[in-house]
Amino acid sequence: MQVTVKLFASFRIKWFKEATREYPQGVEVLDIVNEIGIPVNDLGIALINGCHASLNDKLQDGDIVSLMPLIGGG
Amino acid sequence: MMILSEKSKNDPSAVLYRRCTIDLDSQAVSFEDVPCRNLEDVMGGFGRSFQMLSERKIENAYCRENPLIVNTGLLTGTSVMTGLRAYFSAYSPLKQSNKGLPAAMWSAGSGNFGNKLKWTGIDEVIFENCSASPVYAVFSEGESGPVVELKPAGHLLGLSGHKKIMSLQKEYPNAHFAAIGPAGENYRSVYMGAVILSTDNQLKSGEPKNRFAGRGGMGSMMGYKNLLAIVAQSSDKPGKITPIMRDVNHDVLKNGGSARFQPVSQGGGGGTWANIEVLQAFHAVPMNNFRPKNNDEVEQQFRDHVEKEFEVVSEACYHCGIRCHNNLFYRNPDGSRGPLAAKYDFEPLILFGANIGIYEPAQVSELIHLCDQLGMDAISCGSTLSYVLDYNERHPEKPVFNGATFGQFDAIKALMEETGRGECAEIGRGVKRLSEQLMETSYAVHVKGLELPAYLPETNPGYIFAIAGGHMSMGTHMLYAKEGKRSVDEWVQVITTQGLLQVGYDMLGLCKFVGVGMGHDLIIRAIREATGLDFTSAEIVAAVRRAYLRGLALELRQGFEDVEYTLPSQVMDNPNSNVTLPHFITDEFIAQLKQKVWSVFLPEMAGLLPDPDEKNEK
Repeated sequence: MQVTVKLFASFRIKWFKEATREYPQGVEVLDIVNEIGIPVNDLGIALINGCHASLNDKLQDGDIVSLMPLIGGG
Repeated sequence: MMILSEKSKNDPSAVLYRRCTIDLDSQAVSFEDVPCRNLEDVMGGFGRSFQMLSERKIENAYCRENPLIVNTGLLTGTSVMTGLRAYFSAYSPLKQSNKGLPAAMWSAGSGNFGNKLKWTGIDEVIFENCSASPVYAVFSEGESGPVVELKPAGHLLGLSGHKKIMSLQKEYPNAHFAAIGPAGENYRSVYMGAVILSTDNQLKSGEPKNRFAGRGGMGSMMGYKNLLAIVAQSSDKPGKITPIMRDVNHDVLKNGGSARFQPVSQGGGGGTWANIEVLQAFHAVPMNNFRPKNNDEVEQQFRDHVEKEFEVVSEACYHCGIRCHNNLFYRNPDGSRGPLAAKYDFEPLILFGANIGIYEPAQVSELIHLCDQLGMDAISCGSTLSYVLDYNERHPEKPVFNGATFGQFDAIKALMEETGRGECAEIGRGVKRLSEQLMETSYAVHVKGLELPAYLPETNPGYIFAIAGGHMSMGTHMLYAKEGKRSVDEWVQVITTQGLLQVGYDMLGLCKFVGVGMGHDLIIRAIREATGLDFTSAEIVAAVRRAYLRGLALELRQGFEDVEYTLPSQVMDNPNSNVTLPHFITDEFIAQLKQKVWSVFLPEMAGLLPDPDEKNEK
């Protein structure tokens, strides 16, 4: 199935901005994070189709997953 | 600070702090070693100053009885990384209840002034009354203890904070400085004057790389007292870096909380600047007075866009490994680094950028620089200006001031200049007063009279319970974007347990960018190794909680009423559909939130405040 991955901020600079990739059925957010090579501790926000998601949420064909680094401060 | 060795290592009364009281009227100076009454006193910062403020009944910030308290935290001046904060506390000219009573406030700043003050042997200075003529205060080390002098400061009048500091540096080598700019000098018409703090980078380079204690008008309080600057002159006395301290500092640097503030080139997140891109993913970056538009104009402020025009240099405070200062430098024609343009941190770059309709980095830099030179709080100034621009866009037939509206750089710059010079009191006194005067309060973005930082109010009901600035005294400002929580119970939980503990950093002398919770083992280890004191996590958390609740109780005593614990009404009445995060803050949500939060807080607040009448009679 196809999943579109969008990366933001430092993730975008280190890896890529957006890519549509093939994944097996049942793939989880964590699988994609690991595949890209993002350290899990650096992940701040994960969204599936704009809604907050957890690492173990499963993806469906055509989903858009957005991954963002930790944010904070003022 | 003195720790009595014969007492237990977790007995607050074992700790005595050195207080210096200066009567600016008579120029009398006294010193005393004050035993700590509780752990809040030991931790210091606002935990100590608010106990003192609570003993006074103040009805007008600009009265002689309102003290300006300058103090440090337990870990200021130690070898714990980021332990260099100084605190300025007083009843605020800016934050005021509907009853007209001033709120107690503190504002924190980095740089190296706090360290130097502590190294003179002083933990706390109380400036009483007002000087008849402009003065600056000099604290230095003497053979038998700290020495204090008050000196004429007429020659500093009218100078920017940076120029005051550079002028004083010629006379006081090995010193650091706190100063005010023209805004603080014009305290009658500018209630948002900041205290400007020197950094090592500034003193070495001659460039205006200051840090600021901006919130609540503490610089205006200095101006009211005719105190134009404070000099702290001392040899450097950082503590010994023991193996344990080295581990503590390694953990400060490497924990996830601080790593996000490191430069991208060092594997970090790129500082607070990175917040823009994440918030833009939700169209939650403030634009045009906190009303995001559904477009990509904000992308012009992304770091890689700005780097096409400017050189960005990540720098740090004294001995700090968290290089969170993003300084923008012009590029010379040959490509080499030119002069400093501005410090480009999240708050000023949004509030003098997208939130006023300016996207050209060179123009944003110019406004940031001007605000800093005038010595105004960037948040209060930016949020008040954006209100003016919004009003004028809504009333093209009858605009106010010079008619400026969004994106009009020259007109906005002129307004800022006039405000900082004391020529536009309506803006200089903040957005609450201005919006009430113009009778359009729904889009005045403040809570309890203090302008909100660059995080949308529709994403943070925690602002309601912040006691000294929306995001610096309630750590909930990015929670919605991070976690998406929007039930009343989730927000009650976070406000009453986790969010309020943010203020603990403003007791200890550490920077919030350390990024761990107050109950974290890192805090305990840092205190133990730097001071020999041995408090438990539970004791530290309880003391921070009491200090926060004392601040909240003090708000109520100064007349803040239930109706003032709310967000700008636009948030509830006219939700912005451009923000892709679901709208969840309604009037009913706020009513339920307040009822549940107060039911937790009020019982704990009982007995935290002394009777000020009793103190006044003594």
